[in-house]
Amino acid sequence: MLSVHQDVLQIIQAKFSSFEIVKSVHLNVSILGEYWSEQHHILAVVAYHSNSALFLFSSKKPKPFHLSDLIIEAVIPIDENFECLSDPIPGEHNYLLFVVRYRKVSFEFRIKIGPESSNFASEIVKSKERFLSEESDKRWLLKYTDLYNSLENTELKSQLDDIPFIRQKMAQNQNSINRDSMLKYQLKLKEPEFTQYQEFTLFIGTWNVNGQLPSISLKPWLSSDDDPPDLYAVGFQEIDLSKEAFLFNDTPREAEWEKMVLDGVHPKAKYRTVALTRLVGIQLIVLINTKHYQYIRNIAVDTVGTGLLGKMGNKGGVAIRLELHNTSLCFVNSHLAAHVEEFERRNQDYKDINARINFRKYPTAIKDHDQVYWLGDLNYRITELTTSQVKTLLIRNEMAALLRADQLNQQKERGNVLLDYNEADITFPPTYKYDLNSDTFDTSEKARPPAWTDRILFRGKGIYQLAYRSHMELRISDHKPVSAIFKSEISVINQAKYRKVHEELLKRMDKLENEFLPQVTVDQTEVKFDLVKFREPQFRDIIIANTGQVPAEFEFIKKLDEQSYCKDWLRITPYCGTVNPGEKCDVRLEVNLESDLTELDDILVLHLNGGKDMFIIVSGKGQKSSFTTSMSALCRAPMPIMNLSEIQWKKIVALEGEVLYSIPRELWLLVDHLYKYGLAVRDLFESNSTQESFVKIRDWLDFGSTEPLPGSVETIAETLLIFLSYTKEPVIPFHLHDVAIAASSNYQSCKNIINQKLPDIHRNVFLYICMFLQELLRHSNENGYDAKTLASLFGEILLRDPIRNSKPQASRENLVSFIIF
Amino acid sequence: MANRSGAAQRPNGTQGKICQFKLVLLGESAVGKSSLVLRFVKGQFHEYQESTIGAAFLTQTVCLDDTTVKFEIWDTAGQERYHSLAPMYYRGAQAAIVVYDITNQDTFGRAKTWVKELQRQASPTIVIALAGNKQDLANKRMVEFEEAQTYADENGLLFMETSAKTALNVNDIFLAIAKKLPKYDQNQGQSGQGQGRRLAEGDQGAKTPGNCCK
Repeated sequence: MLSVHQDVLQIIQAKFSSFEIVKSVHLNVSILGEYWSEQHHILAVVAYHSNSALFLFSSKKPKPFHLSDLIIEAVIPIDENFECLSDPIPGEHNYLLFVVRYRKVSFEFRIKIGPESSNFASEIVKSKERFLSEESDKRWLLKYTDLYNSLENTELKSQLDDIPFIRQKMAQNQNSINRDSMLKYQLKLKEPEFTQYQEFTLFIGTWNVNGQLPSISLKPWLSSDDDPPDLYAVGFQEIDLSKEAFLFNDTPREAEWEKMVLDGVHPKAKYRTVALTRLVGIQLIVLINTKHYQYIRNIAVDTVGTGLLGKMGNKGGVAIRLELHNTSLCFVNSHLAAHVEEFERRNQDYKDINARINFRKYPTAIKDHDQVYWLGDLNYRITELTTSQVKTLLIRNEMAALLRADQLNQQKERGNVLLDYNEADITFPPTYKYDLNSDTFDTSEKARPPAWTDRILFRGKGIYQLAYRSHMELRISDHKPVSAIFKSEISVINQAKYRKVHEELLKRMDKLENEFLPQVTVDQTEVKFDLVKFREPQFRDIIIANTGQVPAEFEFIKKLDEQSYCKDWLRITPYCGTVNPGEKCDVRLEVNLESDLTELDDILVLHLNGGKDMFIIVSGKGQKSSFTTSMSALCRAPMPIMNLSEIQWKKIVALEGEVLYSIPRELWLLVDHLYKYGLAVRDLFESNSTQESFVKIRDWLDFGSTEPLPGSVETIAETLLIFLSYTKEPVIPFHLHDVAIAASSNYQSCKNIINQKLPDIHRNVFLYICMFLQELLRHSNENGYDAKTLASLFGEILLRDPIRNSKPQASRENLVSFIIF
Repeated sequence: MANRSGAAQRPNGTQGKICQFKLVLLGESAVGKSSLVLRFVKGQFHEYQESTIGAAFLTQTVCLDDTTVKFEIWDTAGQERYHSLAPMYYRGAQAAIVVYDITNQDTFGRAKTWVKELQRQASPTIVIALAGNKQDLANKRMVEFEEAQTYADENGLLFMETSAKTALNVNDIFLAIAKKLPKYDQNQGQSGQGQGRRLAEGDQGAKTPGNCCK
């Protein structure tokens, strides 16, 4: 294993159980074929005992940093159905094609050649060997694929047997493109069910016009048959030999020849230009019978120069691709290197054109088309025979001997050019080189031997050639035009059948998609709490069980217009997480009441990522407490508040009735206790009292008791702090908060606020606390408190922020310290 | 050798647009919202359908002549206590089916309230369909067809009486909605949360259903 990827290996390992060992990973894998999104992909070999599988991950990043960056795209068991091989990629020496087949499905990955790839490949080979010696057990993969056992529908099952993978993204509805790709893929598999072949007549023609002006009718060439073809592909070479055409690739001849072609096509049908492309003098026009025009799609053209410097356009090829109904067609017109001895150069030109033509949309290359027609002045000559020998053989009509000497036939046979293209038998005389305006072979000094330079070849299924001939009547060039007629099978979609198949597939995909939606159940949708008391937390656990087939990511989500996913008295842990199929997750709901709420109600929305929402009602009753009652109300209570009747309670809360005490009774009880027992206690306010002891004091205050105040002085001191922290209004009421902060640096202003603005009871409490603090400071030798410490301790309690925890703390300290002295 | 990658070529001239819409079902509890969805999506009917506590989610595709419409269906809880959560689901929805029970006048009243709420709070271009469910119980009918039809006409709603039990008009009502929704090509766009991205394309009107391509 390469150490650089050890980290990634560990991240991927985290996706698996401890018995499932990630043996090897390969980063930066790209997938060939159109229907995969351009994400980063990683392959991993994972072993489970003697079984292994190849996992394909997509990753948000080239190198994943976290488990969540990875999504399992495909799982391919490495068993008897698993095959893999590698192929070189033409023109890419650093990469190779890694092909994996599983039954009818194949994946092609482009991977960089290097230690990583060889390590990975050897791990696959080892896995495969290990499998062969042991027994197959695919059960461990079920949780990643869930295809074999989850679907009862056997028809569906057989469908899915073709596809040993599941895309969770599709299931989770995160990416409609994936669904689209899946649909296209499936449609392709089912194509025979909704297509039928229909024969189309194709006329393919090629003519090197030797730079001559378009001055004669092309009818003898293009309309020599009784019946009109459905499609024309007409190629010219050397339409313009001028320097301007060569340098600027611009010539008026283009339009002139197009017009000649349109004028020359068969009179029994109407045609329209599908595409025209030209490189210097190499021009290709495709015309279609207008009745078929609407069935043509995805037209693209490209040109490749192979002339001077290997790039210029005096030689080269032009190509047009299109789809007619459901069949992709490609037409290539090429003019290859000249001169008898340059056959290798011609081979190379062919290879260059084949490799460099790129239509920039799928399929991009010539070879990817269902049918290819290759025409042009290929310039292959007759070798090893003198001009007179050739002429003699021609007169004797010994074509076989001549064709054996044809370079194209020889080179093709050796596999050097136009491999797997077919050509019909040549029965016409060589098309080059003639004296202009004659049918006489070259009589110049050079007296070149005649040759079949102008050829038409084809490749693909369902192509039947009906004619292959030259047209002697056209004499303006030193070449004769050549034409070929094909009956070609074009796959035509039966719309009604297509719809049926399409809709069935959609239904199946809907079914799959719905089955792979995350599903969970919750053991209770109504959670009731017992009587909830001040600062006495309670919890309930709910169980989220994944009953679906994919991992469920859950999250409690915010309701519209709410700040948080639950009320502030509730805490949910964890509030989000992932539950794997068949597993459960406990979620704790904890209430902690710190206000005077008496009715606790909330509806939680438990959302599954990519799936449904569930509602959980949380309810409970809050018990009143002196800690959350306003001080003004407490001063009106004649007895501990839990002993008040409902009517009395309502009255005091409404601040009706007589004020009985100048400060709340509860506050006095706490402070008085500390006066008596706490002044000299070191670190009085630093207790860590237990919940239980606080609850005892709270109940002692709220219910009253004849017993003495329970708990240590430290606990009581802490309770005092809590009491002052939760009173419904702080000692300095919220509405005076800002004024008080502003005044904090000025003793006199502070004094004014205390004396003139504070409500009576609040002022009483404030002064009472300050007196107590002064008393504490008198004992600072024993208790260890200085003014600053006490000021900061009490400052933020007496002067509470409307929003907790925001802090001009220094100011508060100031305010209080002023008062203390 | 052609197509050795095994990838499919696009069948010529058959790929229509694919549109994705968020559709929400609203209505009093026990009027049959979940049953309608179950019938539409899975072709099933359960006599004792559990009460929905939350918002169930399913997807279903329907084919029109030139378009494929994929519905993301949110089937909401009908109980009044969950009423305040409904906006989470109808906000951003392009279509709503408000369901009532033809044997229960109260549910029709509740349906009208839902329609009003949608007209006030939901997207102004939302397509609303009114479904008078439980048509199989027409002998216990408490809401007259004409009454509901008149109300629907006045408010520009699609209207059908449906039966999740017998499947009457179930596909049809979804199909009618699909036809009425404005289409735009979502192939390039994000799918997702039905965020009301739409063109001001004229809708095709609520034609009578029936020319479905199945």
